[in-house]
Amino acid sequence: MSMFLGPLDATGRVPPRQQTRVAAFLVSCHGAMARQLALALAWPMKAAWHTQLNAQFYRESEIVSLLLRATSWIPDPELLFLLPSWEAAWLPRATEGIADRAQGLTIDIAALGHALHSVIRPAALLPQETSAQDPFALASRKIEFESGRVMQAQIMFLKSADLLPLRNAVTAAVESRHHLQVRKLWEETLTGLGVERCEP
Amino acid sequence: MGSLPRRIGGTRIPRCHIRLLGQGASDKPGLFINQDDQVAAPALLIEQLEAPVFLSGISFGGLIALRYAIEHGNRLAGLALMSTFAELSPQLLLLGNALRTGLTLGGTSYLQDLLLPMNLSDAWLGPQLSNLEAVKRQGWLTNDVYALQNLMESFLEFKPLTPQLSAITIPTMIMNGEFDFLTPRTLHETLRLQIPDSPLVIIPRAFHAFTLEKPALTADLLSRFAEDVLSGKWNGNRSVWIAPEQAGDPLIPFPPGHDHLRAIPAHEVPA
Repeated sequence: MSMFLGPLDATGRVPPRQQTRVAAFLVSCHGAMARQLALALAWPMKAAWHTQLNAQFYRESEIVSLLLRATSWIPDPELLFLLPSWEAAWLPRATEGIADRAQGLTIDIAALGHALHSVIRPAALLPQETSAQDPFALASRKIEFESGRVMQAQIMFLKSADLLPLRNAVTAAVESRHHLQVRKLWEETLTGLGVERCEP
Repeated sequence: MGSLPRRIGGTRIPRCHIRLLGQGASDKPGLFINQDDQVAAPALLIEQLEAPVFLSGISFGGLIALRYAIEHGNRLAGLALMSTFAELSPQLLLLGNALRTGLTLGGTSYLQDLLLPMNLSDAWLGPQLSNLEAVKRQGWLTNDVYALQNLMESFLEFKPLTPQLSAITIPTMIMNGEFDFLTPRTLHETLRLQIPDSPLVIIPRAFHAFTLEKPALTADLLSRFAEDVLSGKWNGNRSVWIAPEQAGDPLIPFPPGHDHLRAIPAHEVPA
């Protein structure tokens, strides 16, 4: 087990098998976010943080588009089994402890978005000697860099004054998405590639 | 959140190192960290330690150490405060807001790029320039944007501690880099004036991160502080001192009649 992807090939690039698995995971989760945001954007914008969703929708779409082009894809039969479980995990579910079902679903989508952009750090998987010209490495760095900004929409919403009375339920939704689900799936994916993150 | 006890400066005093929640390998709550959480975390560890316990904190950690000492001072033999503050001055408030914005727009790397030259001297940075990316990478790998953001936000919304500082009656050493831009002398002066048994020790040619730049000197000063307290020699008395350049050399009293809050050798203006 290593903390990083690799071993790199002679030109300093991440092996195609690892690229494929990591990119498939990222396309799955960011694609799901893009779909959920597309639906959410069908309603008129009322709150200030709604305006962030428009930008986020395009960022999520950009991440998917970038990965489709920058990844050196190879056939990966295991994805036939992995993809359905990943897709099922991204489905919205009403947050427990919140009577308003629509609000509960919105909180869950935001919690998932927060988890995806906070827990998943693809650039931190790259060894220091990774080629600066590798498109997959560049894409990974861009995704991680943009995540810090994209996440602000979720933070603004989840920490908003409107949700303060529901703080315990919101925190539980974030922590369950954050720790129990996204981190678990991401770490399982990495373990399957011989990568083990030293997270607390 | 902590590490196994080591020794301070080769003396018999063991030390435990605690990082704040949200930082490095410490727990990283997803959405909210408040200051009560930050105080509760070291409290759990300190309860496990045998007396005498000395608590030292730098920067944000210094504020948590202050709060701990206000609330649980009877558990401590001494307190060492480094590059810290008890209230947000307008400068520090605006800097904190700007650093948070920098973090969210530019990520951890941008924050590192900004803080390294702000908090360390040319003498330290110069030899490190070619190695700086490797120095930054370790911090970048172990710190997450959302967790640092939570950490910063837990400090931007806090009530000033100044009215409670006089409750700290234990021996306290306050250390401030001569050229500390982030937490300048005036913030440490508040601590010195309010904490009865405290001297202010100015670290020459040092910036905010003097513990990183001058680890031997810092460890030596902490050791001397603990040994003086334990041997009954300590007398803080709100005095002002200049630390030596090298570990082991004597501290010098700040020249009487001059204003230690000024950079130029101006005479004090009587209150």
